[in-house]
Amino acid sequence: MSETISTEAFQVLLDRAGISVSPANMEEMRSAYMMLQAMRERVRQPRGYDAEPAHIFAPAGR
Amino acid sequence: MSTDILTISEAAALIKAGKLSPVELTEMCLSRVKAFEPELHAFVTLTEDRARADAKKAEAQIKASGPTSPLHGIPIGLKDIIDTKGILTTCQSAHNIGNIPDTDATCAAALDAAGTVLMGKLTTHEFADGGPSFDLPWPPSRNPWNTQRFTAGSSSGTGAAVAAGLVLGGLGTDTGGSIRGPAALCGIVGLKPTYGLVSRAGVAPAAYSLDHIGPMAWTTEDCALMLQALAGHDPADPASANRAVPDYTAGLGKGAKGLKVGVLSRWHETDRPVAPAVKAGIDAAIAAYDSLGAEIVEIKLSAMHEYNAAGFFISTVERGAAYERMMLKNPEKFGQRYRDRLVFAALCTGMDYVQALRRRRELIAEMAAAMAGVDVLLTAGNPDEAPPIDQVPRWDNLDKPNFTMAFNLTGMPAICVPAGFGPNGLPISIQLAARPFAEAMLLRAAHAFEQATAWRDRRPDMLGLAKAA
Repeated sequence: MSETISTEAFQVLLDRAGISVSPANMEEMRSAYMMLQAMRERVRQPRGYDAEPAHIFAPAGR
Repeated sequence: MSTDILTISEAAALIKAGKLSPVELTEMCLSRVKAFEPELHAFVTLTEDRARADAKKAEAQIKASGPTSPLHGIPIGLKDIIDTKGILTTCQSAHNIGNIPDTDATCAAALDAAGTVLMGKLTTHEFADGGPSFDLPWPPSRNPWNTQRFTAGSSSGTGAAVAAGLVLGGLGTDTGGSIRGPAALCGIVGLKPTYGLVSRAGVAPAAYSLDHIGPMAWTTEDCALMLQALAGHDPADPASANRAVPDYTAGLGKGAKGLKVGVLSRWHETDRPVAPAVKAGIDAAIAAYDSLGAEIVEIKLSAMHEYNAAGFFISTVERGAAYERMMLKNPEKFGQRYRDRLVFAALCTGMDYVQALRRRRELIAEMAAAMAGVDVLLTAGNPDEAPPIDQVPRWDNLDKPNFTMAFNLTGMPAICVPAGFGPNGLPISIQLAARPFAEAMLLRAAHAFEQATAWRDRRPDMLGLAKAA
């Protein structure tokens, strides 16, 4: 099970985004952050070159 | 006045035959609005004068030269994140109080050009996300099957209004299931088309690369009729596909014989086991397709969690980008639920977003390969009946995977169709999906199932109150 984020680390992320939340709300969101971490572990896996998020010029059919 | 509720196709046939006038039809809908809107809260703005004017105009045109489309004179509603010229467009947010657009969204203009009667702007979640909120300027919509129950969202007002016959059809938008969820819980049909088929121009973004516009109506045929008016290239939408628009009604009535139906059992049996009534509905649908002559095959895809995880990061970060300025300047104007969603955008990194895009590339390839061998995929629309509106989990987008996001992530068309009722008397649904731009096939398969059941014969009990009155 993923661990949730520390209050300090959470505050750094909020400061970086220029967002503030109330202390009570922060605690609730910190607990929900654990679910975000679980999803992060799913997407942040090694992938092949063909998983590149390439963009395409003038794709067929457009 | 009769309280019988017509479908779009039924009303269109009567209008064409001169047996029903758009004015009469509109007054029927307005009378139901008067009776049930105080309980349902389906409208943010009821455009009663506009509806009567549209109806009179349609009536005159039809008398002079007949209907120009099956939608001519049909009362509809638009989710209130869709711009309407001269009409308040709130996105259900205090940020947009007093916002009156100068132009119609392309989808609104398309329905207007088809001759529809605009009944009003329909309730949504704030900026089409976040769940039922009680701290916004307008209340959340209620489910006509039980007004203590959730409609799902975010096209909640459209789901409620169509189910209660306040309108015959409406537009929803769908970023992670916002058309199909309300369709499933309100017992109607909701179609999320292929990404790029229906223009998003003039519609407030929820998440740019996941947003879709689509029809919600009582039947699959009605959705086909609406899609016919909506589909097509629009240079104003950078994602709009430039390709020929087929006849979406062409396959209706052709049944399911010879179709190949791929069942995603893993998703509704293992990844998120559905309620027994939903499982029974899915099993009955499989049996129906089998009896109609379809071939049933099992399809294996990655866990639904994989699709949801990639969709979560993409939707969260794109939403954060869309509303960053509002969040920094006036965060207090957002309701708590939506504000929390925007805070989560700050917790995601650029690397999360790129890795989610890379995962999406893999999952699109996986789903495309699976779909190459079948005509439609089948799974659940929603895991259960509608929950009580005051018990909707605050972090429902984080807690458990939903059945709809996968098709936003891949952009493939998907439709929810009623499949019965649960132990609480509330609707349950199946979901079908098809290859990109295969809406005609999707509608054919959905229509075949719909015609094999009697679920379209039952409307919410609350409507019976009007008959008694």
